[in-house]
Amino acid sequence: MLNDYKKKPDKRMSLKEAVSTFMFDGCSVGFSGMGGAQVVAPVHEIIRQNIKDLTLMGDSPVEPGDLLTGMGLVKKMEIGWEAYALAGQAPNFRRSVEKSIPLKVEVEEYSNFTMGLRYLAQAMNVPYLPTRSLRGSDIPKYNSNIIETVDPYTNSPIALVPAANPDVCFVHANRADILGNAQFIGFSANGENLARAAKHCVITCEEIVTTDVIRSTGNLTIIPQYVVDAVVEVPYCCHPWNCPYAYAYDIVSHLDQLKTFKTREGFLQWIDEWVLGVPDHNGYLKKVGFEKLNELTRVEKKFCNAPY
Amino acid sequence: MPKYSTDYSLPEFFAVCSARQIEDGEVVFAGIGSPLLGAMLAKQTHAPNCIIVTECGGIGPETDRTFLGIGDNVCVENAISNNSLWRLFADQQGGFIDIGMIGGAQVDKWGNLNSTAIFGDGDYYSPKTRLPGSGGANDIASSAGRFIITTPLDKRRFVERVDYITSPGYIDGPDGRTKNGLPGGGPSAIITNKAIFKFDKATGEAYLDQVKSGVTIQEVIDNVGWDLKVSSNVTEIEEPTVEQIEVVRTLDEYKIFTGDGMSKLTFENLLQMHYKAFEKKLNL
Repeated sequence: MLNDYKKKPDKRMSLKEAVSTFMFDGCSVGFSGMGGAQVVAPVHEIIRQNIKDLTLMGDSPVEPGDLLTGMGLVKKMEIGWEAYALAGQAPNFRRSVEKSIPLKVEVEEYSNFTMGLRYLAQAMNVPYLPTRSLRGSDIPKYNSNIIETVDPYTNSPIALVPAANPDVCFVHANRADILGNAQFIGFSANGENLARAAKHCVITCEEIVTTDVIRSTGNLTIIPQYVVDAVVEVPYCCHPWNCPYAYAYDIVSHLDQLKTFKTREGFLQWIDEWVLGVPDHNGYLKKVGFEKLNELTRVEKKFCNAPY
Repeated sequence: MPKYSTDYSLPEFFAVCSARQIEDGEVVFAGIGSPLLGAMLAKQTHAPNCIIVTECGGIGPETDRTFLGIGDNVCVENAISNNSLWRLFADQQGGFIDIGMIGGAQVDKWGNLNSTAIFGDGDYYSPKTRLPGSGGANDIASSAGRFIITTPLDKRRFVERVDYITSPGYIDGPDGRTKNGLPGGGPSAIITNKAIFKFDKATGEAYLDQVKSGVTIQEVIDNVGWDLKVSSNVTEIEEPTVEQIEVVRTLDEYKIFTGDGMSKLTFENLLQMHYKAFEKKLNL
């Protein structure tokens, strides 16, 4: 039974195995991160395995939203935001919505906070949470899953957002043990609730550590093992994005990618070269260059060095 | 009397105007892009005790590095707290954030912002231009104590009515916010590179309050797509000081925010940005 995964004493898997075990055509999937710490490596693997008809859930899921949409693997997005931020807008997402290329994705809009509340609701096993966001804007106008009402205690205007229960989520942490206890040294964004809200939670991490390391710094354990189905050690999982306390943001790689993504042909060529043309994440990292990755780690250590 | 600068660009001026909106000690929720530069500038000049918070959940970082995003590692560098997104936004909804700073592709006279879609001849489902969406902007506009809008003055941006309200200003009138139960105070100013607009709480409408030296009221009116209200006492925006321009230029040495440096950025430049900040940290 798939539930037994959460009880395993050794949850390690390869990324390939994690994607093929928990994802399926037509599933709903969420990714952690916010601004930085985007969970990029699993996105590449999903493309390699060509898993389609996906419903993508996220607050601001950059590569998941843009790359998967560009490959025609996403049919619906429930999101707060989709762009590469300072580096630029999301060209594949825009082509999909504006021109239906390769297909028109359905977009159900929320905000970063209210997507977070959706995960929190599910994590707490309540069907919705109220919020003071969204009212007065056009977000509820085009999203009938947001209910504008008055609260039953004080009769004042409020909005309700429904719980979000993706089939699977990928959450990237600084470190985890083989039981799945996941620790964040920097920010966790919506990771703590997304992990609990999904039916199955895959933790990717920069490094797998022993359980006594976890136990000596229990306050960093944002996601305890009973939530987690699988653990995958994926160093530089977020590249080109930054990972707090690990490596700096390689914005130049994004700028190069976005130049190529200006045309659909350019995007597909890039995918052929950087995703399909390498066997796995390690192959991608080799292509990026370990010297470059080392520079990104080295420079970050000058500013953010955890004492543990 | 501070020494005023006589040699600065419009984007640099723009950053200074945003920064000045922040009072020392305030908790500032800064959105991606030029709002973050304004917040950084404020912290390094007149508002050293302000607490910058960003969407990832980083609270009060202290750094000489430039923010390359709202989830950049800088957001947690020497932070008071590395927290979660939902907790930080809940703090905002709970009233702990004094000022938000956001932009948008379109702004209208009520201070509503659109960062979701420009309809053109189409509609929301088939827009001319699909934009990123709310991100945290809707939440900031709804619940921050007040929020300021930062956007260049341009008739294509200053429209009669935004196509899609992503972030609510006064919505459609002076009671637009209260009838929707929005806890935050709403927009307090529109900061542009040529003029500053404030809001009349009695009507919920923006009005022209200050112009940059050398900019005429008519030029502003010509660049606003609605029947613009003008204060009976429009004053000139204070010039930026030499110190403010120096700090902007240090923060944005490669002109990522204040020029087109993004298109010329190399990996070596990127590393240099960090290493220069490290030299500052060594304090030699």
